[in-house]
Amino acid sequence: MTVVIGFEGSANKIGIGIVRDGEVLSNPRRTYITPPGQGFLPSETAKHHRGAILTVLREALDEAGLKPADIDCVAFTKGPGMGAPLVTVALVARTVAQLWGKPLVGVNHCIGHIEMGRLITGANNPTVLYVSGGNTQVIAYSERRYRIFGETIDIAVGNCLDRFARVIKISNDPSPGYNIEQMAKKGKQYVELPYTVKGMDVSFSGILSYIEEAAHKMLSSGQCTAEDLCFSLQETVFSMLVEITERAMAHCGSQEVLIVGGVGCNLRLQEMMGVMCEERGARLFATDERFCIDNGAMIAQAGWEMFRVGQTTELSDSWITQRYRTSPHSAVKNVHWPDQEHLPGDGCVCVNNQEGT
Amino acid sequence: MASSMGARNSVGQLQFTLEVPFPSQREASIAVQSLIPDCEPRKGGITKTLSVSANILSVKWTAEEARILRVSVGSFLDHLALVMETMDAFGRIVQQ
Repeated sequence: MTVVIGFEGSANKIGIGIVRDGEVLSNPRRTYITPPGQGFLPSETAKHHRGAILTVLREALDEAGLKPADIDCVAFTKGPGMGAPLVTVALVARTVAQLWGKPLVGVNHCIGHIEMGRLITGANNPTVLYVSGGNTQVIAYSERRYRIFGETIDIAVGNCLDRFARVIKISNDPSPGYNIEQMAKKGKQYVELPYTVKGMDVSFSGILSYIEEAAHKMLSSGQCTAEDLCFSLQETVFSMLVEITERAMAHCGSQEVLIVGGVGCNLRLQEMMGVMCEERGARLFATDERFCIDNGAMIAQAGWEMFRVGQTTELSDSWITQRYRTSPHSAVKNVHWPDQEHLPGDGCVCVNNQEGT
Repeated sequence: MASSMGARNSVGQLQFTLEVPFPSQREASIAVQSLIPDCEPRKGGITKTLSVSANILSVKWTAEEARILRVSVGSFLDHLALVMETMDAFGRIVQQ
């Protein structure tokens, strides 16, 4: 039995989770929510995490019913993410690892999302769409390495959505993306926006500039409603994501799609991806908000994978990094992808389950 | 009780030294190992050196500008406080 505790705080969520051989024992989390119209800045986010982290750590242990002695390994997010929050979390992880005499494992945040997605859904060898406020990548595992097949060339899709939410001043509670999704359902008019797929990649900064200007012009003249803009933005950016995912699937001959990251909670995105998958005879996997959104258990799970094969991080190498590529040197070596038998666990949303048809 | 001292050195740089006593050498050592890995953000014009001697953690800064020195010392103290709170909350258990 291997028990790993994982610490995550690279953006505005601070989460600590405990995983024992593929079973999530606890996964408490707190979110730093800013007022409408405001984003979250590094120093304030770090302050929020500093204030919450020890309480969340106590919760993680208590909910799992474990003592520090029961933990085998301490995993934490090495990167990528915002500097100050990453440091806050790393400090606590390093300190408890030393206090409890346990090895430390520095985890790539993106790989945490992917490994948790695989664990929860049982996806065998999927093309992964990783979409969040900070990242937008299409990833496949090929010849023992994670490989990025397509990505954003500027901002993440979640960043585009979050910043648009600020322009129209909608609430950030529980998240700006969630509120855009609810408003989009009430949209009646499709407003044409730039569509910027660049081969295998996508670009969102131009769409953001365009829609920010359109919002000021069209909302004041009453040409359309904020709901119409939310609807149009989602339809446009999600179509782009479906296109590049499909392109990667064609390259890999893949029959599975796994969506991870906070934007993956969006039901409209899941629906659109589901249509494409059905057309190709492929399966779509997604997780619910417990695991889509940044959480500690995903770091624990990736840490568990690394620890099992002897990959640990020396204290002197445990520095955090704001940029950390999902690529050869951050790969979990010898991870068994196609071989392992996973059963879909609790939290799996199997959209377009072929077995049912 | 922690002690500190600031001055300008022979090259006109600002210098600041902080000495923090811990209850034991082990705790001072744990603190320094937790605090050392993260580099100073590359603003330039500032250096920070950490070291441990017995149960005392020593930190020495040299900086070109007071503003940069203030930011670095301020954030270090926040980090130090967090490490100490962590040790208080989760260190005793192991010692029992």
